Formats: sequence, C-alpha cells, structure tokens
Amino acid sequence: MRTDTPTINRRSFIIGTAAVSGGLALGLRIPLGGEVAHAQDSAPEVTAWVVIRPDDTVVVRIARSEMGQGTLTGLAQMVAEELECDWAKVTTEYPTPGESVKRKRVWGDFSTGGSRGIRTSHDYVRKGGATARTMLIQAAADAWGVPASECKAANSVITHQPSGRTVTYGKVASAAAKLTPPADVVLKDPQDWKLIGKPLKRLDTINKLTGAQVYGADLKLPGMLNATIKDCPVFGGKVKSFETTKVQGMPGVRHVLQVGDSAVAVVADTWWQAKTALDALPVVWDEGPNAMVSSATIAELLQTGLGADQAFVANQNGDVKTAMAGATKQVDAVYAYPFLNHAPMEPMNATARYTAERCEVWTPTQNGEAAFAATMEASGLPADKCEVYKIHIGGGFGRRGAAHDYVTQAVLIAKQIPGTPVKLLWSREEDMTHGRYHPVTQCRLVGAFDASNNLTGLHMRISGQSILSAVRPEALQQGRDPLVFQGLNPSGEFALGYSVPNLLIDHAMRNTHVPPGFWRGVNINQNAIYLECFIDELAHAAGQDALEFRRKLMSKHPKHLAVLNAVAERAGWGTPAPQGVYRGLAQMMSFNSYVAACAEISVIDGNKVKVHRIVGATDPGYAVNPAQIERQIAGSFVYGLSALFMQECTVKDGRIVQENFHTFDSMRIAQMPKVESIIMPSGGFWGGIGEPTICVAAPAVLNAFFNATGRRIRSFPLKHHGIQLV
Amino acid sequence: MEPCTSDDVVRLNRRAMLQRLGTTGVLVALWPARAWTMSEAVQQAMHQRIGTRTPQPHGMTLRLPPLAETGNSVPLTVAVDSAMTPDDHVLRIHVFVEGNPEPVAATYHLGRRAGKAVISTQMRLARSQTVLALAEMHDGSVRSVTADIVVTLGACVEES
Repeated sequence: MRTDTPTINRRSFIIGTAAVSGGLALGLRIPLGGEVAHAQDSAPEVTAWVVIRPDDTVVVRIARSEMGQGTLTGLAQMVAEELECDWAKVTTEYPTPGESVKRKRVWGDFSTGGSRGIRTSHDYVRKGGATARTMLIQAAADAWGVPASECKAANSVITHQPSGRTVTYGKVASAAAKLTPPADVVLKDPQDWKLIGKPLKRLDTINKLTGAQVYGADLKLPGMLNATIKDCPVFGGKVKSFETTKVQGMPGVRHVLQVGDSAVAVVADTWWQAKTALDALPVVWDEGPNAMVSSATIAELLQTGLGADQAFVANQNGDVKTAMAGATKQVDAVYAYPFLNHAPMEPMNATARYTAERCEVWTPTQNGEAAFAATMEASGLPADKCEVYKIHIGGGFGRRGAAHDYVTQAVLIAKQIPGTPVKLLWSREEDMTHGRYHPVTQCRLVGAFDASNNLTGLHMRISGQSILSAVRPEALQQGRDPLVFQGLNPSGEFALGYSVPNLLIDHAMRNTHVPPGFWRGVNINQNAIYLECFIDELAHAAGQDALEFRRKLMSKHPKHLAVLNAVAERAGWGTPAPQGVYRGLAQMMSFNSYVAACAEISVIDGNKVKVHRIVGATDPGYAVNPAQIERQIAGSFVYGLSALFMQECTVKDGRIVQENFHTFDSMRIAQMPKVESIIMPSGGFWGGIGEPTICVAAPAVLNAFFNATGRRIRSFPLKHHGIQLV
Repeated sequence: MEPCTSDDVVRLNRRAMLQRLGTTGVLVALWPARAWTMSEAVQQAMHQRIGTRTPQPHGMTLRLPPLAETGNSVPLTVAVDSAMTPDDHVLRIHVFVEGNPEPVAATYHLGRRAGKAVISTQMRLARSQTVLALAEMHDGSVRSVTADIVVTLGACVEES
C-alpha cells in the first residue's frame, strides 16, 4: 500500500511550513543601519523575538526545541504575556542556528534538555516581549503625536487613553521596527499575569492530530535519495570490508558507501530499497577489543566498585565509619539498575545536501547549535556556508541533544554524492542498538541505628558509569562526575532532602564501552530508587511508619517535606486503604523542582501489579502552564514505570541485545494508573518540569509492593522477578 | 615603561611584576575597544611571558569555529603575517584560554627553519570563552588577536 507523503518543492516547503506553527525557520535579512529586518514573507521584525504581520498575526521566535514537552507553547506564553498581544493570533517559528551565529546569538541558547527550556530563558524571552511592546506603543504614540505614557496596549490593540483612539499592532509594526529598542524594560509582577499560569491549549497539538505536522521521515526534497545505515554492532569497532557488487544491482540501489570508519550505508530511490539492500550486503567488521564484553562482565566490574577504597565524594558530614562501628543495628543492601535506551517513536534521522559551496541539514534536534556545529565539522565548511533547519521532534528524551551522530553520518553520506539531497533514516534495530544509553550502576547502602532506633549513619556507595567521562570530559571536576549525584547533593538544584548525623555519599567510577547519554531524568531515576527504597527499608527495620521516619530527617528541608506531605495527605496516608490496596511513598529534588509521589497498588497472585492511582506533587517555583505540567507528570510516569517493569538493554558479545519493542516493551493505556497532580508553586525560584517527576513513580510503586507482599526488589526490570504490570 | 626582555621576565617575581605594571586596569584600557575583559589568570600568565610589553591587535589571525558541538577537540589555527626572514620573523606564539582550568593552552617556539608562522592544532575547551593568541616578534613587539567560541551544551548539562 502506497502511503501518501507530501511532495513539495523546497521553496514552497520552507514558506509553507512557516504558516504551520512551529515549522521550519524562514530566511532572515540582517538589519544594517536603519534597514528593517524582515521575515521571508516580508513581515517586519519588531525585535528578534517578535515578528508582526499586517493582519496582526504575531510570530514568536523560539530557540529551544519542542519535543512534546510543551516548551514551545510555554515560551510563547511568556513572550505574549509581556507583548500584550492577542493569544489567538500567536504562532511560532524556529530561527536557524546559522542566523543565530550571524546575529551573535541574539536568541540565546538553543539547547533543550535538563528541564531548562523555561527556567533558563524566562527572563530574556519576557524582556523580548516587553521590549517589542514598548516599541509598538512608542510607534503609535509618535504617529499620534502624543506621549507614550498616555497609551496602553492590550490584546494587540494600542489605545490612547485620553482620546480613545486605537490602532492595531499590525499597522504600527513597520514603524516600531525602525525604532531604537529601549535599554531597559520592567517586567510584570507575577500577580498581574494573564497568560502565564493559565492552562492554555498547546500551539502544536492540532497539526499533530491532523497529520499536518512534518517530521523528519516525511521530508521530501526535489531529487532526494533515501539512505539507511549500519554502524559496527560492537561499539568501538570498525568496518573491515563490504561487497558492493552483491547488492548494487538490486532495485533502486544507487550507492553503497562507507561512512566514517565504522559504518556502511546504502543510498537508494526509496528507504525500503535501501534497507533491503543493506540487509543483504555482506559486511566484515573488525569488532575490536570490546567484542568480549557482556552484561556479566560489566556486573563483575561494577561489583568491584561497591567496596573499593577509592571513590569520589559528593556529600559527607560527620564520621560514617565511627557511626557504623558503634551501631546497635545495621541495614545493608545492594541495588542494581540497568542500561536503558531512549527508544523514541521516531528513529534517528537527518537529511543533508552538500556541495563545496553549501551544506544544509534538516533534522529533528534538541540543540540546533550542536547540530550546526556537527554539520560544520563533518562538511569541513565554515559557518557562513552551512545551515541547519530544525524539524519537530518525534520523541527526544535526551537522545537528540548531546549526540548528533546521525547528522554527522548524513553529511558524510551527502559529501560523497555532492548536489543530491539524501535523507538518512535509521531502522528501529539500528536505533535500539546504537543509542546513548542510560548508564549502568549498582549501589550499596548501609544504614546504622543506635539503641533507640535513631538513624545515626548512612553510607551510599554508587558504583558505575559516568556520563560526562564519555560525553563531556572537560566538565569533570578533577576526575569526578558531578551528575552522578543528582538528588543527593548537599545543596543546589539537586539537593538531598534528608539530614543524617553521619553521612557519606560517594561514587566509584566504573566506565564501560557502551556509550552513555542523558535519558530523561538522567541519574535521578536510579538515585531515587536506591535512596527512597532504602529509606523504606530503614523505616521498616526501625519499626516506624515510612512517612514518620522520613519526616524526622526532613526538618531542615521544608520544601522537600511540603510536597511529601501534600501527596501523603491527598492519598490518605495514615488512614486505612481500601481492601487489598497498598501505598508507597517517594520524594526527590532535581532540576530545581521538589517532587513527591504516593502510589496505590494491588497485587494479585503475588506477582501481578495493578497500579490504581499515583498522587504526584511538584513545586517548580512558578507554573507557566498547569495543564501542560499535569500532562508532563503523567507522561513521565509512563516513561518511568515502563522502564521499571519492562525495560533493560543487556550486552552480549559487545553488542546490545534488544533490537525492537518485542524485547523492550512499554506500558499500554489499560495499565495506566489514575494520576492526580498537585501543582504547588511556592514562588521565588524557577524549577524544571520535563524530568523531575519521572523518578518518584518507580520507588513509590516498589515501596507499595513491599507493603503488599513483603518482597523487597532491588534489581530491575521487574519482569525478571516474574512481576507483571496489569 | 622601559622595554622588558624575556630574561628580565624570568627574573621578576609576581609581586615585582605587578608593581612595575601599576594597576592591572591600565593594560585592559589599552586593549582594543571590544566588550571583553581579560581574566586575571590570563593577565598574569601573559605578563609572565611578555612582561610589560603591550600587545597590538594587528598582523595575525586566529581561526576557530564559532560553535563546537563539544569542547573536547576543537580545531584552531593561528597565522602571523610575517615573511619569516632574518629581518622579520616570529619568535613565539602563545595561546591563552580564559575559560579553562589552566589559562595557557600552548606556547610555540618557531626556529630558524620554520618557513611560515602558522600553527594548527586541536584544543580542549572547558566552556564557551574568548581565546587569545599573542605573537612575539623578533624586534620585541607583540601582536594579538582574539576569537570567541560557543561550546554548545549537550542536553541535561548545566552551564559550568
């Protein structure tokens, strides 16, 4: 069955998608002297952030990437709030990284990750909107010959209050664009917000529902060929040889190419022809030294770290050794957490066209500038000869932020067929086996009690892989990877919520050949399980209620305690649960937000888990779009619980074993619990939304599982213990 | 200020150096009018190498990509406009990196047989920063050039 994909020529594609919200960037002319910058459709740019069309449509420029987390809409809300425009007429577009470089990064950082999209740009995007509003008002005032102070803007209309004269933004935009921007603007007081804080509908939903949204796989350029690729199945290995003659006569096959020193690609008329030929292509790999690595050898390596003398310390106070020596009772446990793949619904892809004069790339990416840097490096061309056009992402979760291997590959292929655009789309198997994996770790926790059952000491030793060592070694602090300790630090955006008289949290670094990356939540996923499940173990050993036990350690951590209390109260902790229903708690602070969860589950036949309800609370300081926050909370639980019950990536002969969703499953709608969200922004700081809540669902469910069955599970996923989600 | 030979530089300790310089503000004021203030670490490292001589921003180029995907290995080329003859040659090229734990990336000594005053290398850069290159000429004069680079943040890594 032929599916209909849009066939459009390049020029109309670029203009056409500009009308589709959040589509590709438009070419921009740079302002020189008094000349006004215009978007490609000639609408004037009031500031770099705001383009206003004669019909009063407002186009907000967004540097960050939308990947389902709602940041596109949230950022537009913030600009529109200060701009005082009609929200119904707001649309967005992505400036290109090439334009960003030319204009000295006027839109700031493009990187979308770390739950940073709103919290690190709210200030300057709001200022961008306020500046544009000020200029629009000034332009109207100038035209009327009245003081700007007598004019007020609301809903894209400027009113001269004494006379009642009005004019719409569209009519004064050109004049406003010629004015000098004010040096300083005053932002609204949060209590005056009309758009920020409202559960507005997202700007990108309609196109995703109607199928109008263009994704990387949908892209069609004139004369474009399709490619698929195989990189050496063992990480770090190389291509030795391949027999082009065996497949070059197959239908549609145009080129069989080596890409870099470790991959082979087939370029054909259609993707399926390329894939069929690549599967039939005999390739000899030089698998390299990592071909002997397996999950068993990795586990042995991690075990050596659990008791090792040398470790990097993140958080310590008092003297844990003495506390342990003098303990009346000790609790000791070892936990383990596996490799995970991001497994976004959309496999890695990039479309590239290379000539000696210009290299252009169209790709979904969480960081347009990083994709641009990868394009420059792979093409060898300078910045003014390169460009990247961002396409909406079909699932990022961190895979498309730090690594642009797919961009490098696409450019290296395009370089071998100059002038021809080529779309490189990975197969699912390639995507599953060539990810940037959630790192593998184990953890040994030891708790010490005195004779009165007070917790006197806690040692948490993490043994396992460092992401920064592989991805950003220049960010290591004298060899130490600070990200390992997310949620466990003495202070900062990832601060521990407990005070223990003698505490030591340290990390024995044990790196593997499997390339690590930032999986949604990064290290809070395992750190929350390790810590929150062990705190429950400690509470149980002391014969105390899990909530009471925690409260005693949290008097110095009021915001952590507030979200924990909120979920406990809403879930009815301390009051009897319905017959057969058991509860579990968890809390953690990460990405500057405080979150907690209480799960309610039933267990049938000792191993079938029904999660009825999860009450989740978050304090992110400010809540820009509460409806979106609720969805992110629920969505993060899907990601986190799917991992807990069903997912892991194992290693055999140096390769990743799981190649598709039959061995790397995820939850279904029928298994989804009811999610109740408590959004409790306490103000005064900005915390993230995309990741923090992902980490509390799993430990809450695990703690409930212990309460239901008396079984403490310390290694994951749960399917290995015969436990299913129903 | 009297000219300072490199021998003098070696003999002077830091305190004496700063006393000879007067306030550090002076050197910055002589810098070309661009929005960059040299860090103290780079200033000190620079004085240790060129003493009280004032670099002039001309006669050399620094090629650095405007963006790097990671700072792990960034290509850099410094080229000095010099015929490299006995009457006109470059003695040393210094590269300073204010955003790195160590402010000096490299010093290249060019001998008699170096036909061109061009060096190319790969550098590790900890974060976005301004890179400074100096060229010490045969006549004691010092030239300078700077270039900015943005090291893009991979997802989930905070700006350090």
